Formats: sequence, C-alpha cells, structure tokens
Amino acid sequence: MASPQDQLHQENDELTSPGCYVALTHAHLDAQAIMDRVRSPAAGAMVLFAGTTRDNFAGKAVKELQYTAYNKLALRTMLEIAQATRAKHGLEGIAMIHRLGVVPIAEESILIAVSSPHRQAAWRAGEEALEDCKARVEVWKLEEFEGEHGVWRANRDGIMGQKVENA
Amino acid sequence: MTSHPPAAAAQSGSSGKFTILYFASAGSYTGKQMETLPAPLPLSKLFATLEARYEGIGAAVLDHSLVTVNLTYVEMPSGNDESEDAAAAVIIQDGDEVAIIPPVSSG
Repeated sequence: MASPQDQLHQENDELTSPGCYVALTHAHLDAQAIMDRVRSPAAGAMVLFAGTTRDNFAGKAVKELQYTAYNKLALRTMLEIAQATRAKHGLEGIAMIHRLGVVPIAEESILIAVSSPHRQAAWRAGEEALEDCKARVEVWKLEEFEGEHGVWRANRDGIMGQKVENA
Repeated sequence: MTSHPPAAAAQSGSSGKFTILYFASAGSYTGKQMETLPAPLPLSKLFATLEARYEGIGAAVLDHSLVTVNLTYVEMPSGNDESEDAAAAVIIQDGDEVAIIPPVSSG
C-alpha cells in the first residue's frame, strides 16, 4: 500500500550516522547487503535478525500483510534506536531495514544486523533493537484474513486490532 | 508548533491551513490518508474538531492514539485543568504537519 506519504518521501528512505544505517524500502530485503553494512575488521561477531511474515494470527489464516509507515518519523525513530543501541552495547555497527507495502507470507519484513568485538553484546543488542523497534517505530501492519476484513495489528497488546470496513 | 498564550492565537486573524495525516486505523476510519484543516487551531480543540467531522472517531481511534506536530510527539490537553495544563497553550499553526499515530505494529 503506497500511501501519499510514501511517495512523497521516497527519496528520503534512509538515514545514516557513524556506525548506524536505517532504511525503509518497498523492495525485497537482502540479508547479505544489510550484514555488509556492519562488517568490520574490529568485530568478532555479527548477529542478523530476520523477521518474517507468518501465515496465521492466533490460528486464523492470514492471506497477506501490508506495511505502511510515517516515513520521516519512522526513519528518525529508527536512527534514535540504532544510535542508543550502538552506544549502550559498544557496537561496531548496526543496520536496520523495514519493508513496506505488500509482503507475501514467509518473506522478510525487517532485518537487523549488528556487529561487535564479542558475541554477547551482539546477541543482546540485536534483541533489544528489535524490541525497541516493535514498540516505537511508526510502521503499521495490516493483516488480511481469508474471507474477512483486514485488521490493523497493534504490537503493544497482542490482541486483535481494528477491523477495516473498506479494505 | 508554538507555545504561547491562547489569547495571542485569538488575536491572530491570519487564515491558513495545516496538514493532518491519518495512519492505519485513523486512515480506515476517515477514508483518507491526509487532508488540510483550517489553522490556527488550539491543540485542545483538535479531537473535538475531528469528532465533529468523523463521528465516533474519538472512541474508535483517537483515545488509543498519539499525536505528533511537525514530527514531535505532543501531550494532548486533558481539558479539565486548563490553568496548569501546558499542553492547552499549544496552537497548531499554518503549515504545520499533524499526524494521528495509532498503536504501532512494525516487525
């Protein structure tokens, strides 16, 4: 679902700062490319998280998922999370990319890659960055169920979101 | 977005518009992703303005949503303690970009 906001800010779909890269895209996600963003000779570990689109919610069959974003604000929030995570865990690098639009079942919707001198920090940082993203980043998921209206998901409560009458 | 006494806004007769963006359930409820509304508008009047245009949106969407003005989250005025409520003094200005932010669901 390409919203007017998406089109308006298509050219501004990534932000960077030292050791940090965040992006939004309508294209397929590329795990190798996002790992290469954090590759460093000073790193002894890289952790890659790939979130994929599941075919059900609480047993109900999901036909497809669509993501939409407030691009400008989502990128800003993602960069804040990347910078805070990098500082807290002494990371060499952190890169996060979220896919928008229709994402077919079983494909990647988010990738987070981190690199650090030692593995413990990388494991922890990867998990924290993902949880912070899910709590804060201004991206919304619409789940289309088989034979029903779509539902806007809300991460914070895990319950069914609001039905979309005209979806 | 500026904070100044409501009296100042009442005096400014300049007519303008602000943009409001409706994300996720807000977009589904209004049937729009964005529109423009007359500015200036006190932030304390925003939800009432939207309720007048889209009956029921308060309970269905706004009560669970956050609001940004020019990419910054703002506290919505409580409405029952005007003298001490700093948020009550915020005025949405001509050219501002306001957004309704329902609960997010990235990942």
